[in-house]
Amino acid sequence: MKVSELNSVGFCCVQNKFEDAEITGGYTSDLLSDVMGNLKDGQVLITIQAHKNTIAVASLSGALAVIFCHGRSVTPDVLEAAADEGIALFSTSDNQFDATVTLAHSLR
Amino acid sequence: MKARVDFHIHSCLSPCATLEMSPRTIVARAKVAKLDCIALTDHGCAENLPAFHDACIEANMPCLYGLEATSSEEVHTLCLFDQLEPALEWGRIIYDSIQNFPNDPDRFGLQPIVTVDGDVTGFAEKLLFAATDISFFDLVPMALEAGALCIPSHIDREYLGAVSQLGFLPDLPYDAVEVVSKIPPNAKKWAIIQSSDAHQPDHIGRRFTRIETEHFTVPALRDAFKRHRKP
Repeated sequence: MKVSELNSVGFCCVQNKFEDAEITGGYTSDLLSDVMGNLKDGQVLITIQAHKNTIAVASLSGALAVIFCHGRSVTPDVLEAAADEGIALFSTSDNQFDATVTLAHSLR
Repeated sequence: MKARVDFHIHSCLSPCATLEMSPRTIVARAKVAKLDCIALTDHGCAENLPAFHDACIEANMPCLYGLEATSSEEVHTLCLFDQLEPALEWGRIIYDSIQNFPNDPDRFGLQPIVTVDGDVTGFAEKLLFAATDISFFDLVPMALEAGALCIPSHIDREYLGAVSQLGFLPDLPYDAVEVVSKIPPNAKKWAIIQSSDAHQPDHIGRRFTRIETEHFTVPALRDAFKRHRKP
């Protein structure tokens, strides 16, 4: 599954400057120290932490995309940081569990 | 006196702050904003406090020496001292307990340690906004024991505040709580402060607190915060 296909399973793309690469998996966490240690290259991060540090941590770990859950608002500085890093951003009104289930089904 | 105070300001040492945030620039902007006392509170590191001290002395600006510690649950907490030495000692304890994750300046920003003249003497190596291994429930009593005023940061924000990270505001002996806009219902037993959380010069003083105090010492401010509580 490619990053762009996240749109077709119900996630709303809010930042589209990214390389449309193959997703290798997902990681769901709201603790950035945990994300830093465990998110792997090629994965999608599912979180409610919709702030700039999240983008930096995702980029450092090689994440392709971040899905912000619960309809958390995405501020311009977050969009800009993600565009600079080439990380796709998606938004959903689902909670982290449902978003994870959707992504897992799509990948398997 | 009814003082205007801003106790949450980041210098260039914080990776998320702009490099213009030298101690002298901070003090100059604080004067423009007509602040009576300011605190420097970088993430997880106190190494720009000596330059801040010098900048405040030369400009006759009352100040507190602080930092913003990140607990293991990623709750941000202001720790404020009225003397430089204990603040530096506290800074070493916090820096040493940050998870060992090197800063990547291209992604997170530079973390320069500067002199009052703005000369760079080194860089903090660890990523300063990374979490420490100290739980919030231990951090608060440790900070108080070290002689600091202890104030959880931006408790009403959706991220990196006590309520967002822990689900509620624990009943601990804070001196005050910092609120950005909306006071959570269970926070009213503490004094409420507002501060700029400035990461760039024009943010300094954008929010501040008016407090009745004659001195900017830890005991005087602790008393002032007690009086500042809403009935």
